[in-house]
Amino acid sequence: MTMNLHDTFAYMVSRWTDELVVTSAGHSSGTWWDLTHDRDQVFYLTASMSLSSMFASGIAVGNPGVNVWAMSGDGAFVMNPGMLFVERKMNLPNLTHFMVSNRCYGSTEEVDIAFSEHADYATLARGAGIDRVYSFNSLEEFKDQFDEAVIAEGHTFIVLNVERVGKEVRTASMDGPEVKFRFGRYVEERTGQTIFNVLP
Amino acid sequence: MTSERREVSNIIVNQLAESEISLVASLPDDWVADLIKVVEIDDRFIHVPVNREESAVGLCSGTYFSKTYSAAVMGASGMLTCIYAITKINYTYEIPMFFLVSMRGAIGDTAKYQISNGIYFLDVLDTIGFPYKVIESREQLLEIPRVHRHSRVYSRPSAVILSREVLNGET
Repeated sequence: MTMNLHDTFAYMVSRWTDELVVTSAGHSSGTWWDLTHDRDQVFYLTASMSLSSMFASGIAVGNPGVNVWAMSGDGAFVMNPGMLFVERKMNLPNLTHFMVSNRCYGSTEEVDIAFSEHADYATLARGAGIDRVYSFNSLEEFKDQFDEAVIAEGHTFIVLNVERVGKEVRTASMDGPEVKFRFGRYVEERTGQTIFNVLP
Repeated sequence: MTSERREVSNIIVNQLAESEISLVASLPDDWVADLIKVVEIDDRFIHVPVNREESAVGLCSGTYFSKTYSAAVMGASGMLTCIYAITKINYTYEIPMFFLVSMRGAIGDTAKYQISNGIYFLDVLDTIGFPYKVIESREQLLEIPRVHRHSRVYSRPSAVILSREVLNGET
């Protein structure tokens, strides 16, 4: 059993308050944009080839009072599962990593991930030493455990097993510097830090 | 580890601190191994060992959205694996980042498996318009803060490339 990505993200959006969000390539980015049209609290990190959770970790370690949600897809995840060891080493209490598993490369016409039938991503995460690991196959189950899995403090890795979308979902139409400045200005306002035009 | 090598490692970490850098991501090359050991025990830094150099690019780029200045320490081979990550993240979004890299494969490197770095590494950086400073003497290590600062001015990455001789404390 798997979940519908749009419905799953719609529920997350309904529970989303002040968390910074970093999206990954493909459907997570497009679906989050489609649901929120947010240009400030979200960094649309497209086509990073597995680096969204590392990028989010950098944001989280520098902003300890701010919760950060990182999205990745299993296509990206299998390129760099070693990210789990780095996440475990950092063990950031304000980082939640949502790994959207649809067993395909969603941004490239949903070509199958060749070995996905053998992959147990939650077990991989536990094997990396991460304590708070969840895997959801139904939206009801996700809703029931959302407070425990997402709202409670602690570095968390969450597998969202979702259906394929079956169509292209376009992400925000912004050039890179616009994404940087809008997100950075939001962080500046939120935290009182000056990010731009500061030299060491 | 020789005392000369440790002395150089200490100079470098002091220059990192002078640059207000407080987070260092690393993956070892044997020429920067002692530097990484010194970073690990220096409580001025959060040290994050990564297991793939591109992860350091992701991590250090994320720290830009805070008051945390960061650096990535690696070998030339490791930095060559980062070209896509650099062009994708740092060039597309114009995000600064600072690298400290060993100049493997240059004259004096006896490892045949590093020769390709000596042939192509700096040319690859030149091709993507990547600013760097090759450091070949101990005195030049004092330029680390300036190169770091340049990445902030340029809104893209910059690198200090460290020669074997300087890392070994020979020059």
